[in-house]
Amino acid sequence: MLMLSRIPKWNLGLIVVLILEIIIFGLINPRFWNISILLNSFNDFIGIAIIGFFVTLVMITGGIDISGGSIIGLTSVVIGILSQAIGLNIWISIILAIVAAGLCGLLNGILIAYGRVQAMVVTLGGLLLYSGIAIVLVGVSGVSAYEGISGFPGSFSNLAYGTVFGIPSSIILFIVLFIIAYVLLHFTKYGRYIFLTGINQNAADYAGINTKKIIASTYVLSGLSAGIAGTMLTSYLGSARADFGSEYLMSILTVVVLGGTLITGGKGGIIGTALASIIVGFLRVGMQMGGVSTQYIGLATGLLLIISVALLSISSSTKENMKKLLRPKFMKEGNV
Amino acid sequence: MSKFKTLMKKREFRTLFFLVAIFIIVGLVNSDFLTIGTIQNSLKSSLLYIVLAVGLTVVLLTGNIDISVGGTLGLSAAVSGLLLKNGGSIFVSIVVAILIGAIIGLINGLGVTKLKISSFIMTLGMLEITRVIQVIYTDGQWVENLPAGFKQLSQMNVLGFNLLLIIVMAGVIIVHLFLTRSRKGRYFSAIGDNVDGAILLGVPVQRYVTYSFIASGVCAALAGLIFASQIGFISTTAGLGIEMTVIAASVLGGVSLSGGVGTVIGATIGAVIMISINSALIYMKIPAFWNDAISGLLLITIVVTDAVLSRRADKRTKKERLKARVLHQEEVSINHAHAK
Repeated sequence: MLMLSRIPKWNLGLIVVLILEIIIFGLINPRFWNISILLNSFNDFIGIAIIGFFVTLVMITGGIDISGGSIIGLTSVVIGILSQAIGLNIWISIILAIVAAGLCGLLNGILIAYGRVQAMVVTLGGLLLYSGIAIVLVGVSGVSAYEGISGFPGSFSNLAYGTVFGIPSSIILFIVLFIIAYVLLHFTKYGRYIFLTGINQNAADYAGINTKKIIASTYVLSGLSAGIAGTMLTSYLGSARADFGSEYLMSILTVVVLGGTLITGGKGGIIGTALASIIVGFLRVGMQMGGVSTQYIGLATGLLLIISVALLSISSSTKENMKKLLRPKFMKEGNV
Repeated sequence: MSKFKTLMKKREFRTLFFLVAIFIIVGLVNSDFLTIGTIQNSLKSSLLYIVLAVGLTVVLLTGNIDISVGGTLGLSAAVSGLLLKNGGSIFVSIVVAILIGAIIGLINGLGVTKLKISSFIMTLGMLEITRVIQVIYTDGQWVENLPAGFKQLSQMNVLGFNLLLIIVMAGVIIVHLFLTRSRKGRYFSAIGDNVDGAILLGVPVQRYVTYSFIASGVCAALAGLIFASQIGFISTTAGLGIEMTVIAASVLGGVSLSGGVGTVIGATIGAVIMISINSALIYMKIPAFWNDAISGLLLITIVVTDAVLSRRADKRTKKERLKARVLHQEEVSINHAHAK
């Protein structure tokens, strides 16, 4: 019982939803209970999940990053052009592409933290700019924009389809990035600073924390994660296109917010994001198996988003305020 | 001269200046660009965005955001399009579209004010929901073969000007006057500027925030009608991604996302800029794939410069105020004399 009470209520709720989801979809179509199908379905939402982990950090500082989806497309195109059109080694192109994604994040971060422009505006500009650069790269290199760049070596597609000790590599990546984000946020000084910055930036500044650096760094991490997601997606689909990831925006934000991270900053956790990403991912798989057209999935995720946030803000905002008033150690709350 | 200076300081004026600069530069490269026909064409194709930007500005003024405009546009266009196709009258279909917009806006507004959902999330969810409802309603089909009478609405001319263009421009001016001159209209920016202050002044904040979302929904529905009339068919992806363009247009026009700052005229100019870039690229013979990159770069550059400029101005006024407080009036004037 003690163990149960240590898990935050929101995450407990998410676990219950996840279990219910697995049971219900399994009853509709027993194939859903096939472990290997479930594990392989991770490939479909790994991008959303890993960007979600690091957008969680961004959102805890009180910012928002909506440029992740377009960075995926840019990474994909950069990998394709470097390896196919220029002829670099595939692994070097991947590293360069992820570095480029990090640079996109860095540009976001610098403009937001040091230029003190609203995160929403900067990342909106970034959304247009990065996908625009990807389209320009495709246009300049003269590749067919519709078919994309293909013909990658087999070792590259092993990234998404390979297994390590029988476990699909996307699951390994999911776990590795989950651990990195979790440790960063919940076990390091850096993570504490992220929470402090989100709760009260001025106070954090006075406490001697370089909040600008902290804020800028979260965007770099988010950009890098989008780069990794772009690499995985390119490997999974076997071709590089500029419009990859363009429909991810909604899902990424859904996952982070459904995971219990406040859009106003200061509160949130990686476990919630991870659970929410699995819930949303399985929802997609389950509905497809249940014979629901993919076009209708938006209805479910949209409703899920609104209802979960309504629950979060109604129940927890009043409770949180009370807790903050009664207990000065509210930092513990963030430490899920 | 001083009047000119205050005009220069206005954000919309800087945007207008920028728009004129674009036209002149492109006109220098290719003089075909500077004909009345081209200018009216780029105004005509930005009509849709102007209407959306006006509605969005009202929401942005209160410090909220409405991302669902694209979904509202698609849904209302599809529903009224099907009505028209099945022999409904134009008047009825317009009323139905406006009603749909108003209802979606009302739901958004109630979610934001009563359920305390952040407007970004609420409208993002609504965007997705309205898209699916549109697909369900139209069975995933395109709405085609709209009656010719309806399509003609967007082509009608009065005194050589497009009728819709005149109506929209008149609408923009009326909304501008309402928001800046009338007592109730100024409630919107008061809420965005300082919610607590507005509450203390007796502004019914929740009601006016809801009104703002309804206004935005209605504008999106009107934009949907313009879309249907101009294009003549409604695909299932009508208005996909339009919300980002419209937000960018409003921000370009000097509307602040944190509320309280901005005018619909500025947003209108911003919308015209966003669309003029497209035709400007064609006239400068630059391939169309540069479009997004240039818009994005432009948005970031303008917004960052603007933020830096306004912060510098802020600092200066603060310094002056501090000086006035620390030194007495005589000393200030003595200092002035010294400085001279």
